[in-house]
Amino acid sequence: MTHIREAFVLPLLFLTVALLGGVRVADRVVLLPPPLFALVLAVILTGVLVKSGALAPDRLINASRPGLANANGVVVLVSLVAAAAQAFNVAIPEFGLPRLLFSVFLFVLLINTLAASPDRVRVLRSMLVIFTSAFVLKFIVLAAVSDPTGGRMKRLLLAMLEGVTLGTLTQDAYRPATGYLAFITLTLFVSGLALLPPRAMLALERQSRTLLPPDQEPRR
Amino acid sequence: MRDSTARAIGLALAALYAASIVWLYVREPQSVAEMTGALSASVGAYRIDARAFDDGLRFFRGEQFDAARLAFARADPARQDARTQFYVAYSFYRQGWGRVYNDVDLFAQGVAAIDRAVAVAPGGRIVVDDPDLKMHSADELKAELQTGLQRGASDLNPMKLFRQRK
Repeated sequence: MTHIREAFVLPLLFLTVALLGGVRVADRVVLLPPPLFALVLAVILTGVLVKSGALAPDRLINASRPGLANANGVVVLVSLVAAAAQAFNVAIPEFGLPRLLFSVFLFVLLINTLAASPDRVRVLRSMLVIFTSAFVLKFIVLAAVSDPTGGRMKRLLLAMLEGVTLGTLTQDAYRPATGYLAFITLTLFVSGLALLPPRAMLALERQSRTLLPPDQEPRR
Repeated sequence: MRDSTARAIGLALAALYAASIVWLYVREPQSVAEMTGALSASVGAYRIDARAFDDGLRFFRGEQFDAARLAFARADPARQDARTQFYVAYSFYRQGWGRVYNDVDLFAQGVAAIDRAVAVAPGGRIVVDDPDLKMHSADELKAELQTGLQRGASDLNPMKLFRQRK
């Protein structure tokens, strides 16, 4: 990993996610700090990244690196946890039954991923799927149900959810800008995860594959 | 650029950016004027528009409370001046006060305004020396606004009709 990526790209990218993750645009702009549970999920996600090799903390902080480089490493790790907490803050609905369901679902999913110990690529794909699904459910499905003016989507969902008290599902109606910001935030976050320094073995393996001619490439 | 120089600049940038994010989450400015005002207030460089404040005070004394608040908003766009926000809160009190009942919405806005005033006042203490006012401190005004928001058996007391607006 280049020092530019470690000193500039990753911290600024993750801090931008931490900034945008709490922005909700309604009648006024509200900045929501991450709830405690989002912090718990962020720590578990960091554990998943380390275990899968998507993040190698020893490439960011170790005794052989100069102090300044280690300080950059600490900033990357701290900003990663902050960004992860805010990414979950974006993905989880603000209150009610959906909040409980999303929180439990994400918690179980992350614990399951941690136990399964998938490799880096699978973890990154999994994160993409988790955050895309959460985004669609919160900002398209739940937003349609909570839309006070209604619409075709709301009528369709009401027909599907016949018998469910909407009071347990509806959320605050935000302006469309909130959804766009959330999309940018989650895209930046997942891109940042892909830019994290992977475990050295994985990096070396990739490097050796690019050096070998195709017929001598090791079989996987 | 040398490796260590780039790392040091990156570290400083990240620290500055993180501090700005924390500041934004704590202050929650709603406009560019509020953001620049709060920033200049934090270094002690914030000044209100004295002419607009005088206009506001004139409207306030003439019982034109909506106009007064508009002028106060011009005088203190960042809502960082404790004295102006005190008058804004007082205007909500006077406009919302009623002999039979108080306007709950205006009183609630008054509480919000006095809270803003206390938040930006040094040490949270505000004393306004104005002979036109019957309450001179933020504590008195806030207590009066909060009392006005409460509902209870005392609302049925006929003696309430004889109370005076402060």
